[in-house]
Amino acid sequence: MSELEEIKSCLIEMKDISSLMVDLAFSSVMYNSEDIAEEVYLLEERMDELTLKVKKLALKAAKEEEKPTKLLSIIEMASINEAISDAAYKIADLVLRDVEPHPIIQRIMEDTEEELGRITVRKGSVLIGQTLKQLKLPSKIGTRIIAIKRGTRYIYNPGKDDTIEEGDVLIAVGSDLDRLRELAGEEVEEE
Amino acid sequence: MEEWEEYEYKPKSVKEIFVEMKNTAEFMVDLAYSSVLFGEKELAEEVIELEEYLDMLNYHLMVHAVLAARSPKEAEQITSILHMAHSIDDISNAAADLAKMILEEVELHPIIKQVILESEEVIGRFIVTPDSILVGKTLEELKLASNTGVWILAVRRGKRWLFDPDGDFKILAGDVLIGRGTQTSIDYLKEIARGVIKVIGNE
Repeated sequence: MSELEEIKSCLIEMKDISSLMVDLAFSSVMYNSEDIAEEVYLLEERMDELTLKVKKLALKAAKEEEKPTKLLSIIEMASINEAISDAAYKIADLVLRDVEPHPIIQRIMEDTEEELGRITVRKGSVLIGQTLKQLKLPSKIGTRIIAIKRGTRYIYNPGKDDTIEEGDVLIAVGSDLDRLRELAGEEVEEE
Repeated sequence: MEEWEEYEYKPKSVKEIFVEMKNTAEFMVDLAYSSVLFGEKELAEEVIELEEYLDMLNYHLMVHAVLAARSPKEAEQITSILHMAHSIDDISNAAADLAKMILEEVELHPIIKQVILESEEVIGRFIVTPDSILVGKTLEELKLASNTGVWILAVRRGKRWLFDPDGDFKILAGDVLIGRGTQTSIDYLKEIARGVIKVIGNE
């Protein structure tokens, strides 16, 4: 892969990650979800790696570019994405810190009846191999999938034709995520 | 103190302000990418203006926070609000930096546009032809977002721009819509706007 192609794929991932981070960061506060805040933390680490990689690659590519100054726009774009992700991280950090948040933030957290969480799809789960269209999770169990984490990649706002695979981590929101946990083959504590 | 307790400064609930801030920050980023993709300065200028709106929302959140503090401990906790306001401001600044690349006519590497076009959430431009079933209908009537998966960010009518149109916005022939969605949904709406597909939402 040429340097420019590599830069492109990094930047695409960065753009996707930064939008996902903003969404998850605000959501982690609204649903007071430490799991999701942690996810934002992991994404932030990935973002830092990518930022450094893009900057290094841009410097290398500059040797072969006719107008190296054009590469500045690439470095700028990487920095902007990094800035967005840093900000998202700071928002999610409010959930992770031990400091009790201001009552106003607690008020944002409290009046939600839904729950946001991470669910791992275990071996043998009925979800495996099904598309979101087939599963109709929103209408059947009142759960919406915000993102699917597959290995180190994320599918942000998955579409109808996306298929669930074994080992996927589903980031989902709903009034009762235990139903989804059961379907995913996670052990659910009986109340 | 009693006096202040009674004074209810409530343009919106805290939650509503927070959700509005989230949406505005995300909208600014989308709009900034749109301005870069299409080289449209008006879109970039709107991003800069939205910064002021976000400042106002931040201010409302602060007012709520100050009025809610009833003890020194709660007053201390106000740092968490400042922290959040600051972070949201950072996001809007980043979006503004992106928009400034267009306003200041920074030379863009061709990769930049490819990145915007190839990421998961892409941005599309739709020219509404007179034959399209969109003509004469409001966004609400069409249930455009749920039926097509495309969220309309801005509309250009002649030389005028309308940003973040609401449900009762009526589409006219010649309108140029700018929207965000997946590649499939963008392609679908393009066909509808062109008048090739004559039905909307088959589910």
